[in-house]
Amino acid sequence: MNDTKNSGTTIDGGKPAAYWNPYAAGVLLGATLLASYLILGAGLGASAGPARIGAFLEYCVLPQHVAKSEYFGAWVGSAQGLLSYYLVFMFAGTFVGGLVSAVLARRIDPGVERGKTFGTAPRLTLALLGGVLVGFASRLANGCTSGQALSGGAMLLNGSLVFMVCVFVGGYAAAWFFRRQWHD
Amino acid sequence: MIETYFGAEQLDSPHAMLAALVIGLAFGFVLERAGFGSSRKLAGIFYLKDMTVLKVMFTAVITAMLGLSYAFALGWVAPDQVYALPTVYPAQAIGGLLFGLGFVMSGWCPGTSAVGAASGKLDAGVFLLGAVIGAVGFNELFGVLRAIGLVPQADQGGVLGGTSEAQIAFGLPRTLFALLFTLMAVAAFHAAEWIERRMAASGSYPGGPVLKAVSIAMVVFAVVLFLLPESAPLADSAAGPDIANLLQTIEAAQDHIEPEELADRLMAGAQDVVVVDVRSPAEYAAFHIRGAIHVSLPDLPKALEPHKNRGTIVLYSNGMTHPAQARDLLALLGFHNVYLLTDGLAGFVERCLKPVSLRDEPLSEQQAVKVRAWRAFFLGGDPARPEVARKAAESSPTPQATARTGERLPALVDPSWLAARLNDPNVKIIDVRTQPRYSTSHIPNAICLSPESVRGPIGGVPSMLLPADLLARLLSNIGIRPTDAVVLVYGNDPENGELGNGLRDATLLGMALERLGHRDWAILDGGFWRWVSEGHPVTAALTKIEPSVYPVPPQPDDFTVDAQYVAARLEDRSALILDARPADYFRGEKSDEARPGHIPGALNRPFKADLGQGERFNPLDELEKAYQTLIPSKSNPVIVHCRTGHQASQTFFLLRRVLGYTQVKWYDGGWAEWAARFDLPAEK
Repeated sequence: MNDTKNSGTTIDGGKPAAYWNPYAAGVLLGATLLASYLILGAGLGASAGPARIGAFLEYCVLPQHVAKSEYFGAWVGSAQGLLSYYLVFMFAGTFVGGLVSAVLARRIDPGVERGKTFGTAPRLTLALLGGVLVGFASRLANGCTSGQALSGGAMLLNGSLVFMVCVFVGGYAAAWFFRRQWHD
Repeated sequence: MIETYFGAEQLDSPHAMLAALVIGLAFGFVLERAGFGSSRKLAGIFYLKDMTVLKVMFTAVITAMLGLSYAFALGWVAPDQVYALPTVYPAQAIGGLLFGLGFVMSGWCPGTSAVGAASGKLDAGVFLLGAVIGAVGFNELFGVLRAIGLVPQADQGGVLGGTSEAQIAFGLPRTLFALLFTLMAVAAFHAAEWIERRMAASGSYPGGPVLKAVSIAMVVFAVVLFLLPESAPLADSAAGPDIANLLQTIEAAQDHIEPEELADRLMAGAQDVVVVDVRSPAEYAAFHIRGAIHVSLPDLPKALEPHKNRGTIVLYSNGMTHPAQARDLLALLGFHNVYLLTDGLAGFVERCLKPVSLRDEPLSEQQAVKVRAWRAFFLGGDPARPEVARKAAESSPTPQATARTGERLPALVDPSWLAARLNDPNVKIIDVRTQPRYSTSHIPNAICLSPESVRGPIGGVPSMLLPADLLARLLSNIGIRPTDAVVLVYGNDPENGELGNGLRDATLLGMALERLGHRDWAILDGGFWRWVSEGHPVTAALTKIEPSVYPVPPQPDDFTVDAQYVAARLEDRSALILDARPADYFRGEKSDEARPGHIPGALNRPFKADLGQGERFNPLDELEKAYQTLIPSKSNPVIVHCRTGHQASQTFFLLRRVLGYTQVKWYDGGWAEWAARFDLPAEK
């Protein structure tokens, strides 16, 4: 299999491994999701990780305020604490799993991913703002591409399917405004 | 059946955390290999240059969706073992739009950014920082969002939070929606390949063998799903009753089972066939298919719940109409394993049991042998098949057959006896203490049942033991089977001077068991407190109950007598009447009833006189002597009564079960009825 989109070289100078066939990767991703449902009884989730970390950091600075807040407050009250939540562990696992794969594939590629004609600072600004929006929206929708679109979609949940459609609607509607960051 | 961490409420346990970590490892690994450690590749879908996101995501969704559908339909996992995110349309729609905007702006989503950050992408790390800030922002704005109705009331906060019910498949049958969804995804894959070829001239795997194989496999699996029974609870929440499917099975006569097939399966000792006779109890008592249980039509859903979509349920009556209607209703309740016996019992008799010599058409030798075997099995006993015989005995309504063969328990059992049988599934413990005491602490696996639930007003007389059909339902609900040995546990906390929770609560419940012909029961001697004081284990955990089908005996019990019976014995003095009430009530010095006094000629033996410390019976020889002076012989007819039958149930138990008196009757109506019947004589 050849894939022209991989970066040409890596830190150690070797060629990175090819990406998997997307359909094969999809089947394996689906199998992982299924395993999550059959073992944990809940689907995959990613956005709860950063959210819990956010709650934890805010709690370190303003414990009283967080404990009294309506949303994070419920998490503080849990006996297990803010970070002892299964999705925090899943998020950590996702990071480590990605790291292992990237190392094995020789795809560790430090830097800022952007088009050659687009500056680093505006690219990072967009990444930050996009992150804020995504972090906010994931809480509002009670999940992200993992928890809602993938996991909820596999359960045929109406709300998750609506979420999935809206993600694409929102993305395509705004795509034109952010196209230049990928121009080489 | 899989029990998930969610289903076991163990999602907070260290094991679940470890499992989540491992699943996360696989998740991250696959995401990275799919190319999702690159924001350029992720964003590609929004510029129609790289459709990998669509391909991977939809392949994953369809794979898991089909996998879950099969897991539900094949019964590997119950739908309630799997958490379904609540449906909150406005939050999910607006959240989706904002998410899409943030996604295209940054080129990341939370899961992929973790992988991107692991790959060294600084923009992924910055995105994650943003996501953390966004979540904090959401928390700060939560009050505002709720004020404008964007977040559900009383949201618990976490992914396992919301309050709105999950809704699925937009009202379509799950199977149909799954197929449409699959076809849409396969079409989208091919469209994606086409777009990539057109837009970027780089469709990585156009028409590749993997795409072809995945497409075909998905469609095949989605189609085969139609052939499987739909998982009931999901069907309920999805689309309600599936009338079209039901009509289809009826049209194809798939809802019938032929008499010959049933006969063969029963003869082979099939354990997964439940044959249900829905005729009247009298007809059932007269004759029924060997192994059949009797359930009245209104009781069917409850009685058959344990067999729902497990094994084969066969309904029969004399004809076909009643079972057919019952079957259709059960199908609407999600039962997909209910069959009708073709031509009902009449057909079964005609086709399987009619003697060879009486048949109009000559049978082949092979058929004749078969008919003889069926006749031998269904009309005569067949000791060679003990498992079927046992099944028949279990469901037979006669008191003789319901008891475990001849081994009636001793009347009273010691705590050590019960402690040795705590794990015996055939020993059921019923705790008759008050519910708060039960909930605080009880013997492991004990079932809470108030003695008040076995009595009520009958024919205007308060506090009468309920009729057998109601008692049978009560026992079915708490999972007692005719073959169980039942141990009753009463309370007797001497410190608290607990009244109304003594031995007689257990004996009253014993009367209910006796009425049903259940002989195999005993009382824990010394009750709950002796159990505790001898250091046996207790728990506060709820007991798991699997409802049973307790048959209703066809005849009334042979020990309960009414006022008329008692009055007749007064005339000819053929029975001794024993009043178990306290002496002052007997003498008429105290009265809670219409008249003070007692039945003329009755003897008084207060129930309390039989009890010693801790609500235990006095020493046996003492009791023997005391009753010898009252009753001439052990076979002398005795009628015991009190005010409402409660106290007398203790005397009844003592006389019949402990001391071995053979002719003991119980006047349940007691003084409460007698005193208010002014046509009946009374004396002080």
